[in-house]
Amino acid sequence: MPAKPKSTSLSLWCVIIRLLGFSRHLPQQWRWAIGLLVIGTVAQVSGPILVKIFIDDYLMTGSYPWLPLVVLTSGYILFHITGAFAAYYETINFYQIALKVIERIRLETFANVLHLPLRFFDQTSTAWVISRVSNDTEVIKDLFVHVLASMLKNTVLVVGIFIAMAILDWQLMLITAAILPVTVICMVAYQRLSAPLFQRVRSLLSEINTRLNESIQGMALIQIFNQQSRFKQHFSNTVLAHYQARLKTVLLDGLMLRAAIDLLAMLVLAGLLLGFGYQALSSIAEIGVIYAFINYVNRFTEPLIEMTQRLNLLQQAIVAADRVFQLLDQPGNATQKLPKANAPVREIIHHANIECHQVSFAYEADNTVLDSISLFIPEGTFCAIVGHTGSGKSTLASLLLGLYSPVKGDIKVDGHSLSAINKQVLHQFIGIVQQEPFLFSGTIRDNLSFGVTVDEDELNSAISAVGLQETLEQLPNGLETHIGERGLNLSTGQRQLICLARVLLRKPKMLILDEATANIDSETEQQILETLQMMHGKITIIAIAHRLSTITHADKIFVLAKGKLVQQGHHSCLLTVGGVYRDIYELQQFSGAVG
Amino acid sequence: MHLFWKLRWFFQLERKRYLSAVTALLIISGLVMIPPKLAGYIVDQINQQHLNADQLLQYCGGLALLALFIYGLRVLWRIWLFGASHHLGAILRQQLFNRLVSCNSAFYQQHPSGDLLARATQDVDAVVMTAGEGVLAMIDGLLTGIIVLFIMSFFISWPLTLVALLPWPVMGFFMYRISQQLFSAFHTSQTAFSELNDCVQEQLSGIRLVKACGQEHYAQHLFQQQAVKATDASFAVAKVDSQYDPVITLTVASSFLLSVAFGGWLVANNRITLGELTSFTMYLGFLIWPMFAFGWLLNIMERGAAAYERVQSLIDEAIPLPEGKASFSAQTISINLELHHFHYPAYSTCVLHALKIQVSSGQTLGILGPTGCGKSTVLKLLMGLYPCSNLQLFFNEHSYRVCTAHSWRKHIAYVPQDPFLFSMSIAENIALGKPDASIEEIQQAAQIADIHEDITLFPQGYNTQVGERGVTLSGGQRQRLAIARALLLDAPLLILDDALSAVDVKTEQAILSNLKHVRQNCTTIIAGHRISATTDADQIIVLQQGKLIEQGKHNELLNHNGWYAQAYHYQQLEQRINAR
Repeated sequence: MPAKPKSTSLSLWCVIIRLLGFSRHLPQQWRWAIGLLVIGTVAQVSGPILVKIFIDDYLMTGSYPWLPLVVLTSGYILFHITGAFAAYYETINFYQIALKVIERIRLETFANVLHLPLRFFDQTSTAWVISRVSNDTEVIKDLFVHVLASMLKNTVLVVGIFIAMAILDWQLMLITAAILPVTVICMVAYQRLSAPLFQRVRSLLSEINTRLNESIQGMALIQIFNQQSRFKQHFSNTVLAHYQARLKTVLLDGLMLRAAIDLLAMLVLAGLLLGFGYQALSSIAEIGVIYAFINYVNRFTEPLIEMTQRLNLLQQAIVAADRVFQLLDQPGNATQKLPKANAPVREIIHHANIECHQVSFAYEADNTVLDSISLFIPEGTFCAIVGHTGSGKSTLASLLLGLYSPVKGDIKVDGHSLSAINKQVLHQFIGIVQQEPFLFSGTIRDNLSFGVTVDEDELNSAISAVGLQETLEQLPNGLETHIGERGLNLSTGQRQLICLARVLLRKPKMLILDEATANIDSETEQQILETLQMMHGKITIIAIAHRLSTITHADKIFVLAKGKLVQQGHHSCLLTVGGVYRDIYELQQFSGAVG
Repeated sequence: MHLFWKLRWFFQLERKRYLSAVTALLIISGLVMIPPKLAGYIVDQINQQHLNADQLLQYCGGLALLALFIYGLRVLWRIWLFGASHHLGAILRQQLFNRLVSCNSAFYQQHPSGDLLARATQDVDAVVMTAGEGVLAMIDGLLTGIIVLFIMSFFISWPLTLVALLPWPVMGFFMYRISQQLFSAFHTSQTAFSELNDCVQEQLSGIRLVKACGQEHYAQHLFQQQAVKATDASFAVAKVDSQYDPVITLTVASSFLLSVAFGGWLVANNRITLGELTSFTMYLGFLIWPMFAFGWLLNIMERGAAAYERVQSLIDEAIPLPEGKASFSAQTISINLELHHFHYPAYSTCVLHALKIQVSSGQTLGILGPTGCGKSTVLKLLMGLYPCSNLQLFFNEHSYRVCTAHSWRKHIAYVPQDPFLFSMSIAENIALGKPDASIEEIQQAAQIADIHEDITLFPQGYNTQVGERGVTLSGGQRQRLAIARALLLDAPLLILDDALSAVDVKTEQAILSNLKHVRQNCTTIIAGHRISATTDADQIIVLQQGKLIEQGKHNELLNHNGWYAQAYHYQQLEQRINAR
């Protein structure tokens, strides 16, 4: 899904306004930040005025009464300390606003992602989502801190400085003010000229990275096909193009950024000295004024350079924000918005009789995965759905879980259509164990409880039901042991048993095992079978299995082939009858030998 | 500074630009001392009422001209210095790539591609930074600092300089402490950020379970914990980082206060003039940048040195293996391979044991066996991708030890197990080994590989882009495209490494019969685990755990009743199930 960067100034403002909207709930911080900003600026620009008074009223006259001097000195110190601390706390407040905004955007985006339909995840790579949820939001943070906040601060500072100058001498202030329109023209021109150049540099850089990455991955191929010199040449061309493009940006930066502002500042100094000199020729000069002006000029050149340079970040941030909004605006799962049936699950579903009626399904329009499947699974039975690779058995499991809705037909639980049951209710009712045991990094206890509150007895009985108590007792921290990337490494079998215990804790009326025994050792499989045996009769169990040893004891086996239900019955019956089931069975007898 | 010494080859290479830039910087450092001096002089003239209008105009006009001159020099040194430093980036990238191209597969097995990529991008950028900003900070920062201090103490007043500089060591101390704190805070925040990424990754990989259990709110809760942690960590960085400003402001302010107070006393006692005091305070402003430059320089040098170390070690390590010098050209190839044992570099387990393979020219050899039996390894050795000291390998009468890799490989057309496609058009991908092939040749190869029809259905036909910005091909389409790519070479030896695993049996048979037709008299090796692909082979060998366990023709092997026969029956059964 390529992002479409919109670069019109209209969308730029839309994006900025929308971003600022995320800080609506922080009026307190905004008030503090603005208040401190004003106080800090006033304090900052007052310092040179005090020095001016010292020079003109005392130094020039050669009189040094101690009281006014002490007042001046302590005023100077006070202003600077106030200024410094106000600036510090104001910066921190702006940071806080920015970080809270980012946190909010992240949370909202992630919440939206969680409620997207599964189809979205089938089509989108995890990296795509991650780069939006974390990397792009990080760029937006820079926008807040380094562009918006710094623009605001620097603008207020420049305005403050010019007010102070006007108070001292409005004529000299006008001379200095000549720098402003020129700077604005510079900034706009730089922005216009540099945006396409930087765009080119970035795209060439990403081309370099792509070429490198591809060449590294396909190096054996390049060597076998004797294409080394051609790829070297291509890479070299791209690198040189990047170098050339970079030289252009260096030239532009050199002409228009720091050097240009420094030039303007020095010209303003010349103008100031000239204006001041002419004043001095006709009237008595206040040396302190020129001192203060020189001081001010030095002070606002840095903010001006900063603003010009940071405009570049703006472009990147707008693109990033666009990408985040793309994800934020993905339409969520419609079923989430269904009216909530508030009745507790046990009142809606008493028996957990499952009925599929003429169910058909396709991920893409003309590629039927399930074709008119009708089957009935009575309460408390252990049923199995088997089939060769690509028979549609996992898709059927997804439909039973309500992750997808049938294209045709209906799935009913106790006569209620699955799509009409509130999702929350449904999830209390169904438990699932998947092929890949999914544990997140955290303690074993966190992984077992998985968001529901459970008491210790329930926890212990679930653990012993899956035969994990011995394993856990051997761990130094027991249930509190951390697992995951930075924690304990469990075997796939152990992980699968934790997943099974997790499901049992939720006391489902129906348990679906989706290829849960495909990747585990036979010992763990045996343990799972024992647990299932224990649950048999109490809850409905549906096992989707490739490995037939798991389901030979099932009450009923449904055999799928190419999306159709072709056989059903008990293991021994199906074996005697012959057909797909027996073929699959024989195939598995073989596979051990062929490996 | 050690790094600058290591980079001397580059400074030598770019000596013109560097010398010009340094000269310009030197001149600027001198020239910028003039405006404060001039301002001070004018102030004194005004003060003593010696000023006249002409003089004033001259001074200010001169100042404006000086400003333009300095501007010119500033633009020039930027172009010279940063231009040169980016040149270093281009040079290093090319060097790295040229080395990478000549490294064999053993090298790539030991270096994860992410690491190689990081060195070629981030590390190179860090070195470029040293050659540009680092040089600037050293030359300009140090130079300006020294000149300003010199002028302040010798041309105005050294006691005033001493007094004015009293607060600066305090600032140095605080800046050092802040930078230390910042470093650790930054590290924490980086960790929190990557944990946030991990968290998203983890939750998304479990999204089916989360949804099936209706635990969206719990996933959100876990994410929120990480997000808050990331916010807090970033805030800690912000807090430390924001301390720089007040420290600098207060130091500079107290320095100004001290110089105005003490300077005022000096003026009152007629030790210096008021104009000199004005110049002095202006010079004081010039000292801020060198203070920064020093800390910055240390930082850049540290990062640059580590980065250059990594880049250089890669360039040094990536030495191509010595190869033979002979070259040969043959129309047909017979193969003679004798191997005692082979293990991959950096692993000690032997993957192949005592192997002897002979293929006469024009014959077809099938290599079969379960996953991980060593089929692909044999093929990789045949193509000379891994070094192996106890391997005897001949094409006709030419030993691979005496031949150049180029002349050896030009006889081979190879179709890998997992075909890799480059981000180019489909036509360019097919013409990988023969870039000057005509479109007719390309289409012909595509037809033999049974991919032509598929290609014509793409939006831009043969010009359709492959990869991120283009179409995504299915596994079967990629395999057939890779076959077309190999066929275009018209090489005497064709190697198919499980190259038909993702196409159905009907297509497989069609392609194989096409191959038989166009490649009469050519040697072919077909490795795989599908027996239907090799039933017609002149010779079939079966490998298991790196050992040759069966050898013969299809019928002989069926009678032998070993792995081959069992696999055959298994696959027959599987076909029967799929056919239902």
